[in-house]
Amino acid sequence: MNDPSLQKSGDKRDGQEVYPNLLSVSFLIGKKLVILLSIALLIFFFLVPIGKLIYLSLMTKTGISFGYYTEIIQQTRTWRTLKDTFVIVMGSTLLSVFLGIITAWLMAYSDLKHKRALHLGLLLSFILPSYVLTLSWSSFMGSQGLMADLLQQFNSDAKPWSMYSYGGIIFVMGIHHFPLVYMLTVDVLKKIPRDMEWASRASGAGKVKCFFLITLPMALPGVAAGGLLAFLAGLDNFGIPAFLGIPVNISVLSTLIYEEIIGFGPSAFAKGASLSVMLGIFAVIGIILQWIAVHKNKNSDTVLMDENPRYELGKHRIWIGALLWSFLMLITVVPVFSMILTSLKKAYGLPFKLSNLTFSHYNYILFENPKVWQSIQNSLILSVTTLMICLILGTALAYFRVRHPSWYTRTAEIVIGIPFALPGIVFGLAMILTWMEPIPGWNPDIYGTVRILFIAYVCRFLILQVRASITAFMQIDVSMEEAAHISGANGWGKWIFVLLPLLLPGLLSGAFLVFLTALTELTVSALLWSSGSQTIGVTIFNYEQAGNTVYSTALSSLILALIMLGMAVLLVLQKAQKQKGVQS
Amino acid sequence: MSIELRQVSKKFGEYCALNSVDLTIADGEFVAVLGPSGCGKTTLLRLLAGFEQPTTGEIYMDQVQVAKKGFAIPPEKRKIGMVFQAFALWPHMNVMEHIRFPIRHHKETPGHIRKNEKDHISKILSMVGLSKFEKRMPHELSGGQKQRVALARAIAAEPALLLMDEPLSSLDAMLRMEMRREIQTLHRQTGTSVVYVTHDQGEALAMADRIVVMKNGSIEQVGSPEEIYRTPHTEFVAKFVSRANLAHGKWKDDVFVPNGCEDTLQWQGKHVASYFKSSGMFPVRPDQIQLAPAHKPGIQGEVVNVQFQGKDFHYHIQSHDGQWEIYSPLSFRLKEKVTLNLIETQ
Repeated sequence: MNDPSLQKSGDKRDGQEVYPNLLSVSFLIGKKLVILLSIALLIFFFLVPIGKLIYLSLMTKTGISFGYYTEIIQQTRTWRTLKDTFVIVMGSTLLSVFLGIITAWLMAYSDLKHKRALHLGLLLSFILPSYVLTLSWSSFMGSQGLMADLLQQFNSDAKPWSMYSYGGIIFVMGIHHFPLVYMLTVDVLKKIPRDMEWASRASGAGKVKCFFLITLPMALPGVAAGGLLAFLAGLDNFGIPAFLGIPVNISVLSTLIYEEIIGFGPSAFAKGASLSVMLGIFAVIGIILQWIAVHKNKNSDTVLMDENPRYELGKHRIWIGALLWSFLMLITVVPVFSMILTSLKKAYGLPFKLSNLTFSHYNYILFENPKVWQSIQNSLILSVTTLMICLILGTALAYFRVRHPSWYTRTAEIVIGIPFALPGIVFGLAMILTWMEPIPGWNPDIYGTVRILFIAYVCRFLILQVRASITAFMQIDVSMEEAAHISGANGWGKWIFVLLPLLLPGLLSGAFLVFLTALTELTVSALLWSSGSQTIGVTIFNYEQAGNTVYSTALSSLILALIMLGMAVLLVLQKAQKQKGVQS
Repeated sequence: MSIELRQVSKKFGEYCALNSVDLTIADGEFVAVLGPSGCGKTTLLRLLAGFEQPTTGEIYMDQVQVAKKGFAIPPEKRKIGMVFQAFALWPHMNVMEHIRFPIRHHKETPGHIRKNEKDHISKILSMVGLSKFEKRMPHELSGGQKQRVALARAIAAEPALLLMDEPLSSLDAMLRMEMRREIQTLHRQTGTSVVYVTHDQGEALAMADRIVVMKNGSIEQVGSPEEIYRTPHTEFVAKFVSRANLAHGKWKDDVFVPNGCEDTLQWQGKHVASYFKSSGMFPVRPDQIQLAPAHKPGIQGEVVNVQFQGKDFHYHIQSHDGQWEIYSPLSFRLKEKVTLNLIETQ
């Protein structure tokens, strides 16, 4: 509205504008064009793939029908997969909710020490890519792992429980996703006014009664939102069931779709599409429920978080703290250590001895095998490019979303969220179906090259940057921007000297999330990779499938080092920003 | 800078925030826009700044049209400075950088300031009393110091018009008094026109050359502080600015006879606005009434509430005409009967 191109019309002193000014008309047309173009792009990149997926699942040789669906439903394998999916996802969700509530309560209400470090420790199992966590646990619990060694000390016949089982999958998925429940619950818990609990205590309820009658019901929207998020993450997850389930013939929907597509059967794509639509419907139901749970919670938005401890653990504090720390060590650090040890062994099966350790596997994957090096390059280029595109597009969209809210920007945000909300395998298949032949008769050489990965990554991860940027913009009062205008700074000056320095910490953490997610991506790449465009995740997956455990663990350890390096850089950057006083 | 608003209206959807406002502000004048929240005073200020476009009407600055329906010169192209309600300091810049920012970015910054940037900044710093604080970050400053930085930033590029949006509302009472004096001094030193938006009649009366009283998007009365205070033109101005009581009675030319005192009382009211004369009312400020023991000539009433305020008492007194708010140095007890009379000293 403050566009300089309109200024000319204002220099004329006559108040009545009889003839619309040429410049302002062209500006209006330009604005309309930009809006129309962006709508077209949104539809093409974000909605068409979903439409294509549904269309192909219905398109049989005899025309539009539910033929593939009836065929699928008649197969016993489908039913077994559905049952397994249900058992695994529900089981892991329950485990996540259980762990999430306990850790959230301790972190929100108890007077445990070192809560900041504990918080990071709690998030660690979610930050690790699921396949890295899986590899860690399978090497930890494997017949050659640390657990086996430990058990040998007590009983030479004792063997650790196999991770390649329902229990193993549920367990790894549960510990991978419980931080989601923890994060959403801890916020809600901190927002419950403490006098609610005092009132119940004053009315005669004991500590335990108070928890079950007051605290838990009031925290329920948060727990439900977190639980549903864990449920959705379970449906979406591919790495854990692929690494632990496929070798022992346990399938969930995501791995079944993968096997269907990779198997290249006569109607692989169509059957995969039908299964994907089914999985997509489950996910959409979960998303709607999750949305309801989050929005039930909305009235507490204005309530401030109460960070002070409410319960003194007293003499129990030491052992509860120690227990929590050892639990966190056990679920992440110890298995990761075990995985690193495995990757250093001269040969899989040798006992842990200093003389058996070697860096030769690292030497092999880094310097002797060009394919691995290529995959590291691919992943780095992919994630850096995705980061840049998402940073610019996502921040621009977030700016309009926050400063000029309208139905259009709201809808755009929802549409951009679809690829991330859908299970990765569903989105991956939709990408294949769309980009094989985007317009009938036109094959632009995108599917089967690295280009499809670029498109898929940007579409899928754009929403992460949009959300982070929206949060960053919300924290800056409009008057900060207006003060810049008043001081004479238009477009560039305002952005470079005022907005960007203020936004940087928020934008960077969003960009880092995009980078990290893209760098370690497996699900979508597993479907879309082709020779020459394999990513790190795919390479690890292929090594593991081929039984090359030493290589897969070595590469996983390398990834881990990269992630840690990235997080250290981010922390340093944020600290530097804080010292400049930005976040105070 | 001289400013002229012609028939300016602003609608937000169906809601009419500003309704055909006509107003002229002379060069160098200090104008306070006074009104309760939601009266449209902030909208008026944002139109002057260029953050909003008028729905109808035109705005001229130094005889140049700067806004009309669907068009507004953006704020950065107007020669203005602005002080925001919550200061709007940029958390990543220190005091000196705040003052330097408009000097470097305003296209209108006079050449002599650009050339002597350093000297000018230290001059501004000493004007607002922040000479020793130039390297401080906003979070290292107290409320009053933040306010001074906001002021310094607003005047740094020597704007022709200074806009202030309730600048003292986030300060405590003592600081507010101090800042009133400083703003007056700054106005005298810089000679810019000032438009000062506030809901505090004390601030408006104390500082402004002229007060614009607004209500529901329209101007109720424009005048000097004394005019506004002594001769309100409407009921709203009488109550909002001078907290006046409205006595009911009959007018005969310039003489007012309160109801129920037909034979005993006659109040001289030459200065009272015609609106009150035509509607049978007489606005009386709380300090215009003299209290005396009961059963003297005058309006009879009973003390229903009393608050000791130091130099006087604030009474609420019930008479047959309604409740009166009266300030008096004399002491009366609760439920005591008293006589009310007008102090005839105008």
